[in-house]
Amino acid sequence: MAAREGMLVDQLAKVAQGDRAAFAGLYQQTSRAVYGQCMQLLRDNDEANDVLQETYIQVWHHAGEYHAERGSVLTWVMSICRYRGLDALRRRRIDVEFDSVEQNHACDKPGPMQNASDMVDRQRLSDCLRDLDERYRNSIEMAYFRGFTHQELAVAMGQPLGTTKSWVRRGLSVLRRCLGP
Amino acid sequence: MKPDNHERNHALAAEYVVGTLHGAARRRFERWMMVSPKLRRQVWLWERRLQPFNKSVPSMQPPADAWHAVERRLFPSSVAAPAANAKTDPWWQPALPWRWTTGIAVLGLMALLIWTPVPPEATVSGLIGVVQGAQAQPLWVLNASRGDHSLMLRSLPPTLPASHDQDFELWLLPESGVPVSLSVLPTQGAELRVTLSNEQVRQLRQSRSLAISLEPHGGSATGQPTGPVVYQTKLVDL
Repeated sequence: MAAREGMLVDQLAKVAQGDRAAFAGLYQQTSRAVYGQCMQLLRDNDEANDVLQETYIQVWHHAGEYHAERGSVLTWVMSICRYRGLDALRRRRIDVEFDSVEQNHACDKPGPMQNASDMVDRQRLSDCLRDLDERYRNSIEMAYFRGFTHQELAVAMGQPLGTTKSWVRRGLSVLRRCLGP
Repeated sequence: MKPDNHERNHALAAEYVVGTLHGAARRRFERWMMVSPKLRRQVWLWERRLQPFNKSVPSMQPPADAWHAVERRLFPSSVAAPAANAKTDPWWQPALPWRWTTGIAVLGLMALLIWTPVPPEATVSGLIGVVQGAQAQPLWVLNASRGDHSLMLRSLPPTLPASHDQDFELWLLPESGVPVSLSVLPTQGAELRVTLSNEQVRQLRQSRSLAISLEPHGGSATGQPTGPVVYQTKLVDL
């Protein structure tokens, strides 16, 4: 595990004990990645700001529930952010701009948390996605990056609802076999 | 139906993490997770599997006041509110329920200030929304004037045509309650002005959200969307 990840685990452990300075440090280390994800999903500054705040409030209250099975500290925080963002997207029924799938790949630069282990994971997912049927890959990526529901996928891809449901399901099944445990 | 086998659990966990499991199914799944350590582990596994997706999203600097807002919400007695927060902490933001409870008292007053007849020179331009298509091309421009309670709808060529027996219908999405029909949308470069009632103005001012559904020719006969919601947009200050 990279030294940076070790530092984040230390900070999170202190946050679980009520250490506000550690909480500030954790925010400083992770908030750019988290806010990037909020914006990717919500495309609205105010709403992304709210989800960012809700995410860190959850981090403060639930820091003690983190453990290694949740992945890295950043994976855990990003997951909290994603679920809050998806809730916000559904609740507020915010504008869904049906931009091209290609735009989701517009920036593939490594983030500040990048390390060697990340590179291996990224390459593995990237390889598996490359081998995936294009329709399956597009469905999964549009759902993940833009929070599209099955119905929205059907509209965006001009396909019957049952077809896009099936594409997502089959794509994830193939991905699971490729990525393994 | 409770997930009852390994494959089914895996499929549901994957769709939960991707986000396609939503509504009642998502809530049911979250309840199952509370009682099934095995299901939780499958979700964690998918979170880890797909984490490289997150790494491909560009990082962005959060607004400067976001950290202070987190501190204020967690430790209200020990953190002073910086004056600059007001501009990025708008009263209409629905994510914070307390804003509504504290804001309701001023809402009526603000509505009066904004929507009662005032000299035209004292008003600001209004709200605008652009509905975009699959390739981010603009399809309709929606312009809400604060001066006369009207909503101007203009379709931009090339218009995305509905089929011969269907029309696009515009709906106001209130913060709560059912969608309110505003109009069947113009096509082929046409313009249409819709005059909003005071209640519609109030709802639009609150939610700023509009949706477009595909309906039978002439619009929904039931007063509620019957076809798929094909676009949604949000009005922003002009």
